[in-house]
Amino acid sequence: MKQFKIRRILMEKGAENDSLAKKILKELPNIPIENVEPDELAPREDIEEMDKQSLRMIHFNGEFLKPCPGTRKYICCGYQILNIGINCPMDCSYCFLQSYINQPSLRIFSNLEYHLKVIDDIIDTSPDRIFRIGTGEFTDSLSLDYLTGWTDFLLPFFSGRKNCILELKTKTSCIKGLIKSSYRKNIVVAWSLNTPRIIANEEHKTASLKRRILAAQECQKAGFVLGFHFDPLINYPGWEDGYEEAVQVLEKYIDPESIIWVSLGSFRYMPNLKRAIKRRFPGIDIFDGEFVTGLDGKFRYFKPIRVEMYAKVSERLKKWYDDLGLYLCMESDDVWKKSLGWSPKNSANLCSYLDNRVRKLMAE
Amino acid sequence: MVPGLEITMPAGVGIPFAARISFDSYSNSRILSPCVDSNTVDTISQDSTCQEEKAIVSLPKIVLKYSLLIELGTILLKVSIMKKRLLKSSPLHVEITDVDLTPGPFCMSFNFNLEPLKASIGGFGILNPPYLLRNSDDNFTVVAGYRRLLAARELGRSDIVCQILPDDFPPFEALLLNLRDNLVHRHLNSVERGMVLKRLTRFLKKEEILTNFMHILGIPSNKQTLDLFLGLEELEDTIRISVATERLSLRVAGLIRGMSRDDRLSIAGLFICLKWSFNQQWEAIQWITEIASREGCSIKEVLDEGEFTQVLKNHRMNNPQKVKAIVKTLKARRFPSLVEAEGLFKKGLSNLALPSRVRIIPPSFFEGVDYRLEIAFSKGQELRAKLAELSHLPGLESVTDFWKGIAQR
Repeated sequence: MKQFKIRRILMEKGAENDSLAKKILKELPNIPIENVEPDELAPREDIEEMDKQSLRMIHFNGEFLKPCPGTRKYICCGYQILNIGINCPMDCSYCFLQSYINQPSLRIFSNLEYHLKVIDDIIDTSPDRIFRIGTGEFTDSLSLDYLTGWTDFLLPFFSGRKNCILELKTKTSCIKGLIKSSYRKNIVVAWSLNTPRIIANEEHKTASLKRRILAAQECQKAGFVLGFHFDPLINYPGWEDGYEEAVQVLEKYIDPESIIWVSLGSFRYMPNLKRAIKRRFPGIDIFDGEFVTGLDGKFRYFKPIRVEMYAKVSERLKKWYDDLGLYLCMESDDVWKKSLGWSPKNSANLCSYLDNRVRKLMAE
Repeated sequence: MVPGLEITMPAGVGIPFAARISFDSYSNSRILSPCVDSNTVDTISQDSTCQEEKAIVSLPKIVLKYSLLIELGTILLKVSIMKKRLLKSSPLHVEITDVDLTPGPFCMSFNFNLEPLKASIGGFGILNPPYLLRNSDDNFTVVAGYRRLLAARELGRSDIVCQILPDDFPPFEALLLNLRDNLVHRHLNSVERGMVLKRLTRFLKKEEILTNFMHILGIPSNKQTLDLFLGLEELEDTIRISVATERLSLRVAGLIRGMSRDDRLSIAGLFICLKWSFNQQWEAIQWITEIASREGCSIKEVLDEGEFTQVLKNHRMNNPQKVKAIVKTLKARRFPSLVEAEGLFKKGLSNLALPSRVRIIPPSFFEGVDYRLEIAFSKGQELRAKLAELSHLPGLESVTDFWKGIAQR
């Protein structure tokens, strides 16, 4: 299993007594520790380069459970984000965190376990609602699990709830913690997938397509429900063959019946992200497509290009299995209809559609 | 913070920041603040050197930017400077041919007009002597007064009186001397500021330059900007001149620095031969580089194509028309599907025969789904007539489909 290089631990005042911090110190006995103040400003260069080899322990005082920052301008899935940390040791060139975060380092919220009770209260106050919760929005759900042991306490916690599922989204093959756990109920293990070319050129330090899918196969065999996310779809000469290849690998190793959902989302970015990416990855060609300003201010591929990509990839996926729970991430009603042949029309209906997938797959 | 002498002056609340400070004009001070009122200097010459050992110093609020330490909030104004040391130099008649007049290690002059200085020197002589250092060839290196020497040479002078600095005069201090001399009385163009920074790197770490010099030069203090300025000296003269004269955007210069020489000169040529706004340059350079990347060719190859050269050679078009035509061509190549969709929509509308002064406006980039109908009218009756005409207009149902069905390239 891949272990990422950590050169120092930054211990924020207040985090030193948190259980997660103590566990990490035990896992990394020979790594230098620097005690830092929570409000200490990081050097600008560290912020820009993201300082992915420093692990910062933070006694987090913010909200651990928050709705996904979607947009009212497009149809969103009503996902909830469990904030376990920010930043990730891998280095995808297109990652939105490059312009989103204003602090460097791999930031781990060391008091997470203690705050799960608060999440419990939130979930319990809406017993009829299904909470689809994920940890893979601001970090990779599994890349640091070998240090943090997130799966050790998140799996038992969410498996015991009635009205929620936890989705662990990753680009790694770090599944050791999952496999050794005895909890399966309400847990979705999901992989972000792309073409071999995009993985090789843009998703630096991540697992290859095959390794991801082999890890997914292992999880499936171990009884986990799976999810897959083709996001971001990137338009480049030969993209059709690339995504065809990705689906073929899925087809070869994965049983489609226990897939809860497959999402499709095209590459989109805020204007300042382009600057950050071009600075960090000179010569990058992912901006060569025809991007226009979307309704939410993000740049997206011109609509007919998005439709063509969604239609072709979804058609191929449906050919493999026609009940994969396909959905589009942050798209409009007309794009849904033209791409998938149907539309949930609004975010509430998309939520219901995905909640029904939860009911269907988790009840089985 | 530079360790140095602290000068404390009493000042009352509300009293303007003005004080008498004694200091020698060529001390090794790093304060780099104006030593005399710039108007006074301007009346001496365009390229003069502060010569007075004691000067009345006006400290307007802007000095805050220059000084290394100013504490407000008390009645004390503190200024930290390095220890004072009298500058020792000796006057000497120097043959101009004995002076190395290539831009040397202390030079920070680029793309200047010598004529006003020649007129001044022609009329009154050199009021403030250049400062020189003797070099290893027993000739002289210019510390300050580079342009005065050039002007004198152009005026046919064979020798002038210069001040010769001691042989052990530290080069870093010589550089500061010239920098301060320049800063007090003139604006340095971007290339000149780059020259200053480049020369400072011989003596200082980048961090030190960022902290102590960027703001003095009026440049945002960050590493990227420092690197941008440091790289200017590597660029070809045509490009540097365009940057110095603000014909070419500094940002664009930074971007083209990483390109091959052919690409760089080709793109700079396009921006220099026509007058583009900096925003237009920035947008165009993005499109050109992305077109080259999309089409797998070089920037030079993109720009050498007939469609651009035809526009440039078209004598019936004026400058803005040429820029507009080039932008249009670039857009069509950068966004072929979008431009095709826009064309189809326009064509569809033109076939509709809309009433006069009626417009249908599509959503931006066709991203939204709402189209707008705009009717200009001066009387209610006119509005009613236009609405009636519109309600019977065949083909209106297809308005939102005009642009669809385009093939992706």
